[in-house]
Amino acid sequence: MTNALGEPLLLGFSSGLACLAACGPILLPWLAATGAGWAGTTTRLAGFLAGRLAGYLGFAVVAWIIGLALPLGGAAGVVLAALVDAALGAVLIVFAVRTTAPVPCVARPVGLRSRWAAGLRSSALGPAALGLLTGLNLCPPFVAAAVRAAELHSLPGALTFFALFFAGTLVWFLPFLGLGALRGLRAVPVVARFTAALVGVYYGGRGVLTLTGVLLHAWHARS
Amino acid sequence: MPGTPEADPRPNGPRSVGRSLWLTLPMALWALLMFSRSLALPGPAPKLAGLIVFLYTTTLFFLMMRTRRTHRWRRIFFVSVGFLFPIGFIWDLVALRGSMSIPIEQMLGGNTPFCFLAIPMMIVPAALTRTLIFPGSILPTAANPHAVGAMVALWLIATLVLGKGWCAYGCFFGGIEEGFAALPRKPRLRHVDPRWRWMPWAVLATTVLLSAAMFEPVYCSWLCPFKAVTEFPEVNSVTSAVQFAIFGALFLGLVVILPLLTKLRTQCAFFCPFGPFQALSNHLSVFDVRVDRSVCTDCVTCRRACPTLVLDERAIERGRAGMSCMKCGACVDACPRGAVRWHIRGTSLSASSETARLLYLFAAWGFATLFGGSIIANSLTKLLGLVF
Repeated sequence: MTNALGEPLLLGFSSGLACLAACGPILLPWLAATGAGWAGTTTRLAGFLAGRLAGYLGFAVVAWIIGLALPLGGAAGVVLAALVDAALGAVLIVFAVRTTAPVPCVARPVGLRSRWAAGLRSSALGPAALGLLTGLNLCPPFVAAAVRAAELHSLPGALTFFALFFAGTLVWFLPFLGLGALRGLRAVPVVARFTAALVGVYYGGRGVLTLTGVLLHAWHARS
Repeated sequence: MPGTPEADPRPNGPRSVGRSLWLTLPMALWALLMFSRSLALPGPAPKLAGLIVFLYTTTLFFLMMRTRRTHRWRRIFFVSVGFLFPIGFIWDLVALRGSMSIPIEQMLGGNTPFCFLAIPMMIVPAALTRTLIFPGSILPTAANPHAVGAMVALWLIATLVLGKGWCAYGCFFGGIEEGFAALPRKPRLRHVDPRWRWMPWAVLATTVLLSAAMFEPVYCSWLCPFKAVTEFPEVNSVTSAVQFAIFGALFLGLVVILPLLTKLRTQCAFFCPFGPFQALSNHLSVFDVRVDRSVCTDCVTCRRACPTLVLDERAIERGRAGMSCMKCGACVDACPRGAVRWHIRGTSLSASSETARLLYLFAAWGFATLFGGSIIANSLTKLLGLVF
């Protein structure tokens, strides 16, 4: 029992740095762009982590239902990763562009802002959406956890494994709370919004390029 | 509080020829030491190139001393380095493998020269995992002579002394856009939203974060405009074609077209991630640029002269250039009242601006002669080799 609990926790903790590196480019600009203080940063970080947990568990359910080999390997895995990348990029670009001050040079007039975009910007909904997408991202530690969870041969076991793996990685995300201390630095939200846009373009472009490659490969194979 | 017209503290007129020569002597000896190596090389081309560069660097320094002006002469040298560097670099690439493009296997094998722009991206992965994400090695090896360590050490020494002055005296890319920016008489695009000045910080944050996540120098792989005129991955897939298109578009936009329209160093001011990284080191350097508020009349001539929009109204009001100031000297030279001054930290603002300028220039020009002078000599040797 101790082993069953300890293994996913330790796996999560030991691979947390890789999780941090994978999530950092998405989470850091998002949190910093809001210019929120300690409370706001904590709310958004909690939203992100909840979304990420949902992504983990959702993946565990899907993997268990349709069979682990399908989503992780071959073209299906590549397509899934590309779709997640494209969605991440789109969400980040929407966030960066649909915001108002303090980056008016890339902003739209206030009247055109949608309620959805406002939700993305101001509440935990946006971070949760990002967390969900990063939770679905097939980073190496995640794949290791998925393979190990699949060996448990039961859905509750797989869900527990992923939840504990997630808990193990949590400690690495605590330093993000320090972003609340940057409140008041007028340049930080500006830089963070530009960064969110650039990271969004990178992920979006990577997703589109990968999908193009898959389509070209399939087209060549047919002809 | 703006000052009165009687308060101009600058010495009037050019320095005497004798004193200018005396001040130039140490730099002439340094240049002679640098380029005397070319005498040992076979053929007339390297010898002639060495002689030309010796005369060129020494003459420009003499003119700096004689006229008490910095920016004009520095710009001539810097632009020469910027335009000659790609010539020598491409020449070597074509001689080595017949093309500017590098196959991915050779790149992964570390057969690509190290560039200082990759330094900010290497720090996080190196600190966390002791992994060098740039394809190369710290020390030179028989298989890979392009050591990362030598360039990092050179950069570190220059940075400790010059701070962001690296961007005005050391960077071998900035001269290209500075050359294009110098061409028009007046800017066609006058108003640039100053918030774009924060873009390089975003590019720095993006490349550092993504490089740590992807374990590759993301700026070099996707965003470097200067890949278009140096070395780029072999175009043999959709991905590499997109990369090449991005390099070309960024080069044309940021290094050619926008400098022509704005008379600004737009790539440095609005894109280059090395600038803000280097700006962090500006606090280490003892040299900075100050505005003497007791003399300043708020004419904003200095603001209009600044090629990277660092000296804005807030900075003038505060009496010091922003942390991204690259100490090119344009604002000091432009000020009609002598209110914008070279300064050494820890000294009084009333201390001699010219003394601070001389001390800074001996360090900066000495480095420029060593680094940029070698680049000019290398390219000239190749070009003169066509004749001799």
